Amino acid sequence: MIDNERELIAQLMKGDDYAFRRLIAQYHSLMLNIARAIAGDTFADDVVQEAWVSVYRNIVNFEQRSSLKTWLLTIVSNQAKARLRKESRQVSLDQLDGETPGSYLDGTHFKKNGHWQQSVPRWNNESPESLLEEQQLQRCINRTLDLLPSAQKAAFILRDIEQQSFDDICNILSVSAANVRVLVHRARLTLMQVIDRYQETGSC
Amino acid sequence: MLSCKQVAALASDYLDRNSLDNNTQLKWQIRLHLLMCANCRRFVRHLKITQQVGAGITKHASPQDAEMVWKKLQAHIKEETQSKQK
Repeated sequence: MIDNERELIAQLMKGDDYAFRRLIAQYHSLMLNIARAIAGDTFADDVVQEAWVSVYRNIVNFEQRSSLKTWLLTIVSNQAKARLRKESRQVSLDQLDGETPGSYLDGTHFKKNGHWQQSVPRWNNESPESLLEEQQLQRCINRTLDLLPSAQKAAFILRDIEQQSFDDICNILSVSAANVRVLVHRARLTLMQVIDRYQETGSC
Repeated sequence: MLSCKQVAALASDYLDRNSLDNNTQLKWQIRLHLLMCANCRRFVRHLKITQQVGAGITKHASPQDAEMVWKKLQAHIKEETQSKQK
Protein backbone atom coordinates (compact mmCIF):
# COMPACT_ATOMS: atom_id res chain seq x y z
CA MET A 1 0.00 0.00 0.00
CA ILE A 2 2.74 2.44 1.03
CA ASP A 3 4.93 1.40 -1.90
CA ASN A 4 1.91 1.81 -4.08
CA GLU A 5 1.49 5.35 -2.82
CA ARG A 6 5.15 6.16 -3.40
CA GLU A 7 4.85 4.88 -6.93
CA LEU A 8 1.69 6.90 -7.50
CA ILE A 9 3.33 10.07 -6.17
CA ALA A 10 6.36 9.54 -8.41
CA GLN A 11 4.08 9.17 -11.44
CA LEU A 12 2.08 12.24 -10.44
CA MET A 13 5.24 14.31 -10.08
CA LYS A 14 6.31 13.25 -13.56
CA GLY A 15 3.03 14.68 -14.82
CA ASP A 16 1.46 11.33 -15.67
CA ASP A 17 -2.13 12.16 -16.59
CA TYR A 18 -3.33 8.61 -16.16
CA ALA A 19 -2.06 8.65 -12.57
CA PHE A 20 -3.87 11.93 -11.95
CA ARG A 21 -7.12 10.48 -13.23
CA ARG A 22 -6.68 7.56 -10.85
CA LEU A 23 -6.16 10.05 -8.03
CA ILE A 24 -9.41 11.82 -8.90
CA ALA A 25 -11.34 8.55 -9.09
CA GLN A 26 -10.01 7.54 -5.69
CA TYR A 27 -10.41 10.77 -3.72
CA HIS A 28 -12.99 12.97 -5.41
CA SER A 29 -15.94 11.65 -3.47
CA LEU A 30 -14.12 12.00 -0.13
CA MET A 31 -13.06 15.56 -0.95
CA LEU A 32 -16.58 16.47 -1.99
CA ASN A 33 -17.89 15.30 1.37
CA ILE A 34 -15.35 17.45 3.20
CA ALA A 35 -16.19 20.48 1.07
CA ARG A 36 -19.92 20.00 1.65
CA ALA A 37 -19.44 19.79 5.39
CA ILE A 38 -17.39 22.99 5.53
CA ALA A 39 -18.71 25.21 2.77
CA GLY A 40 -22.16 23.75 2.16
CA ASP A 41 -23.75 22.10 -0.89
CA THR A 42 -23.88 25.29 -2.95
CA PHE A 43 -20.13 25.79 -3.15
CA ALA A 44 -18.86 22.25 -2.69
CA ASP A 45 -18.48 21.30 -6.37
CA ASP A 46 -16.65 24.53 -7.12
CA VAL A 47 -14.41 24.22 -4.12
CA VAL A 48 -13.32 20.70 -5.02
CA GLN A 49 -12.72 21.66 -8.63
CA GLU A 50 -10.48 24.50 -7.42
CA ALA A 51 -8.77 22.10 -5.03
CA TRP A 52 -7.95 19.77 -7.93
CA VAL A 53 -6.41 22.64 -9.87
CA SER A 54 -4.28 23.43 -6.84
CA VAL A 55 -3.28 19.78 -6.45
CA TYR A 56 -2.38 19.58 -10.14
CA ARG A 57 -0.19 22.67 -9.92
CA ASN A 58 1.47 21.83 -6.62
CA ILE A 59 2.01 18.11 -6.72
CA VAL A 60 5.62 18.71 -7.90
CA ASN A 61 6.26 20.52 -4.61
CA PHE A 62 4.66 17.85 -2.44
CA GLU A 63 7.30 17.10 0.18
CA GLN A 64 5.71 13.93 1.51
CA ARG A 65 5.86 15.03 5.11
CA SER A 66 2.31 13.74 5.42
CA SER A 67 0.47 11.04 3.52
CA LEU A 68 -0.95 11.95 0.14
CA LYS A 69 -4.46 11.63 1.55
CA THR A 70 -3.79 14.03 4.42
CA TRP A 71 -2.25 16.50 1.99
CA LEU A 72 -5.31 16.34 -0.28
CA LEU A 73 -7.68 16.71 2.67
CA THR A 74 -5.76 19.75 3.92
CA ILE A 75 -5.95 21.40 0.51
CA VAL A 76 -9.68 20.89 0.11
CA SER A 77 -10.31 21.94 3.71
CA ASN A 78 -8.35 25.19 3.27
CA GLN A 79 -10.01 25.85 -0.05
CA ALA A 80 -13.46 25.34 1.50
CA LYS A 81 -12.70 27.56 4.50
CA ALA A 82 -11.37 30.30 2.21
CA ARG A 83 -14.53 30.10 0.15
CA LEU A 84 -16.66 30.37 3.24
CA ARG A 85 -14.75 33.47 4.36
CA LYS A 86 -15.10 34.98 0.89
CA GLU A 87 -18.84 34.46 1.02
CA SER A 88 -18.61 35.89 4.54
CA ARG A 89 -20.92 33.30 5.87
CA GLN A 90 -19.96 32.61 9.41
CA VAL A 91 -21.62 29.26 9.66
CA SER A 92 -19.66 27.07 11.98
CA LEU A 93 -19.90 23.34 12.09
CA ASP A 94 -19.78 23.71 15.82
CA GLN A 95 -23.43 24.58 15.57
CA LEU A 96 -24.16 20.88 15.53
CA ASP A 97 -26.87 19.36 13.43
CA GLY A 98 -29.78 18.76 15.75
CA GLU A 99 -30.69 15.40 17.14
CA THR A 100 -32.42 13.22 14.58
CA PRO A 101 -35.95 12.37 15.71
CA GLY A 102 -36.31 8.65 16.42
CA SER A 103 -32.59 8.33 17.03
CA TYR A 104 -31.27 6.18 19.84
CA LEU A 105 -30.49 9.28 21.85
CA ASP A 106 -33.70 11.26 21.45
CA GLY A 107 -35.18 10.03 24.71
CA THR A 108 -38.03 7.86 23.44
CA HIS A 109 -35.88 4.76 23.82
CA PHE A 110 -35.48 5.31 27.55
CA LYS A 111 -37.71 5.45 30.60
CA LYS A 112 -37.59 8.41 32.95
CA ASN A 113 -35.12 6.59 35.18
CA GLY A 114 -32.73 6.10 32.22
CA HIS A 115 -33.45 2.39 31.68
CA TRP A 116 -34.19 1.01 28.23
CA GLN A 117 -37.86 1.37 27.30
CA GLN A 118 -37.70 -1.91 25.39
CA SER A 119 -34.95 -4.46 25.13
CA VAL A 120 -32.27 -3.76 22.52
CA PRO A 121 -33.23 -5.72 19.38
CA ARG A 122 -31.38 -8.97 18.81
CA TRP A 123 -29.46 -9.54 15.58
CA ASN A 124 -29.39 -12.91 13.84
CA ASN A 125 -26.19 -12.02 12.08
CA GLU A 126 -23.45 -10.53 14.22
CA SER A 127 -20.56 -11.08 11.83
CA PRO A 128 -19.26 -7.84 10.29
CA GLU A 129 -17.62 -9.79 7.45
CA SER A 130 -20.78 -11.53 6.39
CA LEU A 131 -22.88 -8.38 6.87
CA LEU A 132 -20.54 -6.57 4.49
CA GLU A 133 -21.28 -9.17 1.86
CA GLU A 134 -24.99 -8.38 1.95
CA GLN A 135 -25.57 -6.21 -1.14
CA GLN A 136 -28.96 -5.00 0.03
CA LEU A 137 -27.54 -3.84 3.35
CA GLN A 138 -24.73 -2.00 1.54
CA ARG A 139 -27.33 -0.17 -0.52
CA CYS A 140 -29.32 0.69 2.62
CA ILE A 141 -26.22 2.01 4.38
CA ASN A 142 -25.08 4.06 1.39
CA ARG A 143 -28.52 5.56 1.03
CA THR A 144 -28.63 6.47 4.70
CA LEU A 145 -25.13 7.95 4.58
CA ASP A 146 -26.25 10.24 1.80
CA LEU A 147 -29.16 11.43 3.94
CA LEU A 148 -27.03 12.26 6.98
CA PRO A 149 -26.41 15.96 7.75
CA SER A 150 -23.17 16.88 5.98
CA ALA A 151 -21.11 17.44 9.14
CA GLN A 152 -22.08 14.03 10.53
CA LYS A 153 -21.38 12.38 7.22
CA ALA A 154 -17.94 13.96 6.84
CA ALA A 155 -16.95 13.18 10.44
CA PHE A 156 -18.12 9.58 10.06
CA ILE A 157 -16.33 9.06 6.73
CA LEU A 158 -13.11 10.60 8.04
CA ARG A 159 -13.15 8.58 11.23
CA ASP A 160 -14.66 5.18 10.45
CA ILE A 161 -13.97 4.78 6.74
CA GLU A 162 -10.74 6.77 6.32
CA GLN A 163 -9.48 6.00 9.86
CA GLN A 164 -8.15 9.53 10.44
CA SER A 165 -7.16 10.55 13.96
CA PHE A 166 -9.51 12.77 15.96
CA ASP A 167 -6.83 15.50 15.95
CA ASP A 168 -6.63 15.48 12.16
CA ILE A 169 -10.42 15.52 11.85
CA CYS A 170 -10.62 18.52 14.21
CA ASN A 171 -8.17 20.40 11.98
CA ILE A 172 -9.76 19.41 8.70
CA LEU A 173 -13.30 20.30 9.76
CA SER A 174 -12.42 23.05 12.29
CA VAL A 175 -14.61 21.43 14.90
CA SER A 176 -13.73 20.83 18.54
CA ALA A 177 -12.67 17.32 19.53
CA ALA A 178 -15.76 16.89 21.68
CA ASN A 179 -18.01 17.77 18.79
CA VAL A 180 -16.27 15.45 16.35
CA ARG A 181 -16.97 12.65 18.81
CA VAL A 182 -20.63 13.62 19.04
CA LEU A 183 -20.96 13.79 15.25
CA VAL A 184 -19.35 10.38 14.75
CA HIS A 185 -21.44 8.83 17.52
CA ARG A 186 -24.69 10.14 16.02
CA ALA A 187 -23.80 8.85 12.58
CA ARG A 188 -22.96 5.41 13.98
CA LEU A 189 -26.23 5.24 15.87
CA THR A 190 -28.18 6.07 12.73
CA LEU A 191 -26.36 3.34 10.80
CA MET A 192 -26.93 0.95 13.69
CA GLN A 193 -30.66 1.51 13.31
CA VAL A 194 -30.35 0.72 9.61
CA ILE A 195 -28.78 -2.61 10.58
CA ASP A 196 -31.50 -3.12 13.25
CA ARG A 197 -34.15 -2.76 10.58
CA TYR A 198 -32.24 -4.86 8.08
CA GLN A 199 -31.86 -7.70 10.59
CA GLU A 200 -35.58 -7.63 11.25
CA THR A 201 -36.98 -7.15 7.75
CA GLY A 202 -34.19 -7.85 5.28
CA SER A 203 -34.60 -4.40 3.75
CA CYS A 204 -34.18 -0.69 4.57
CA MET B 1 -24.25 4.28 38.99
CA LEU B 2 -24.63 5.15 35.30
CA SER B 3 -28.00 4.77 33.62
CA CYS B 4 -28.51 2.87 30.35
CA LYS B 5 -29.16 6.19 28.65
CA GLN B 6 -25.80 7.53 29.80
CA VAL B 7 -24.02 4.37 28.71
CA ALA B 8 -25.67 4.60 25.26
CA ALA B 9 -24.47 8.20 24.94
CA LEU B 10 -20.92 7.25 25.96
CA ALA B 11 -20.70 4.03 23.97
CA SER B 12 -18.60 5.42 21.09
CA ASP B 13 -16.11 6.98 23.50
CA TYR B 14 -15.93 3.64 25.28
CA LEU B 15 -15.20 1.82 22.00
CA ASP B 16 -12.69 4.34 20.66
CA ARG B 17 -9.42 3.42 22.23
CA ASN B 18 -7.65 6.10 24.24
CA SER B 19 -10.59 8.46 24.38
CA LEU B 20 -11.39 7.60 28.00
CA ASP B 21 -7.77 7.09 29.02
CA ASN B 22 -7.71 10.16 31.19
CA ASN B 23 -10.99 9.22 32.78
CA THR B 24 -10.37 5.79 34.24
CA GLN B 25 -13.16 6.20 36.71
CA LEU B 26 -15.75 6.67 33.98
CA LYS B 27 -14.34 3.71 32.06
CA TRP B 28 -14.77 1.49 35.11
CA GLN B 29 -18.26 2.80 35.73
CA ILE B 30 -19.21 1.80 32.19
CA ARG B 31 -17.59 -1.62 32.63
CA LEU B 32 -19.45 -2.17 35.84
CA HIS B 33 -22.73 -1.24 34.20
CA LEU B 34 -22.02 -3.59 31.28
CA LEU B 35 -21.31 -6.45 33.67
CA MET B 36 -24.80 -6.12 35.03
CA CYS B 37 -26.84 -5.02 32.01
CA ALA B 38 -27.45 -7.41 29.10
CA ASN B 39 -29.23 -4.76 27.02
CA CYS B 40 -26.31 -2.35 27.16
CA ARG B 41 -23.89 -5.18 26.46
CA ARG B 42 -25.86 -5.98 23.30
CA PHE B 43 -26.06 -2.28 22.41
CA VAL B 44 -22.30 -1.78 22.71
CA ARG B 45 -21.64 -5.01 20.80
CA HIS B 46 -23.95 -3.89 17.99
CA LEU B 47 -22.33 -0.46 17.90
CA LYS B 48 -18.94 -2.10 17.49
CA ILE B 49 -20.26 -4.27 14.64
CA THR B 50 -21.77 -1.15 13.05
CA GLN B 51 -18.39 0.53 13.24
CA GLN B 52 -16.73 -2.45 11.57
CA VAL B 53 -19.37 -2.66 8.86
CA GLY B 54 -19.11 1.11 8.31
CA ALA B 55 -15.35 0.84 7.94
CA GLY B 56 -15.83 -1.58 5.06
CA ILE B 57 -18.03 0.74 3.02
CA THR B 58 -16.31 2.03 -0.09
CA LYS B 59 -17.17 5.43 -1.46
CA HIS B 60 -15.44 6.20 -4.72
CA ALA B 61 -16.51 8.62 -7.41
CA SER B 62 -18.20 7.01 -10.40
CA PRO B 63 -15.92 6.75 -13.47
CA GLN B 64 -18.17 9.27 -15.26
CA ASP B 65 -17.86 11.82 -12.45
CA ALA B 66 -14.11 11.37 -12.25
CA GLU B 67 -13.79 11.82 -16.02
CA MET B 68 -15.90 14.98 -15.87
CA VAL B 69 -13.71 16.46 -13.12
CA TRP B 70 -10.61 15.63 -15.13
CA LYS B 71 -11.99 17.31 -18.28
CA LYS B 72 -12.93 20.46 -16.38
CA LEU B 73 -9.50 20.52 -14.80
CA GLN B 74 -7.83 20.26 -18.20
CA ALA B 75 -10.02 23.03 -19.59
CA HIS B 76 -9.20 25.24 -16.61
CA ILE B 77 -5.44 24.73 -16.94
CA LYS B 78 -5.58 25.35 -20.69
CA GLU B 79 -7.54 28.55 -20.20
CA GLU B 80 -5.10 29.83 -17.59
CA THR B 81 -2.09 29.05 -19.75
CA GLN B 82 -3.63 30.82 -22.72
CA SER B 83 -4.55 33.93 -20.75
CA LYS B 84 -0.99 34.10 -19.43
CA GLN B 85 0.40 33.95 -22.95
CA LYS B 86 -1.77 36.86 -24.11
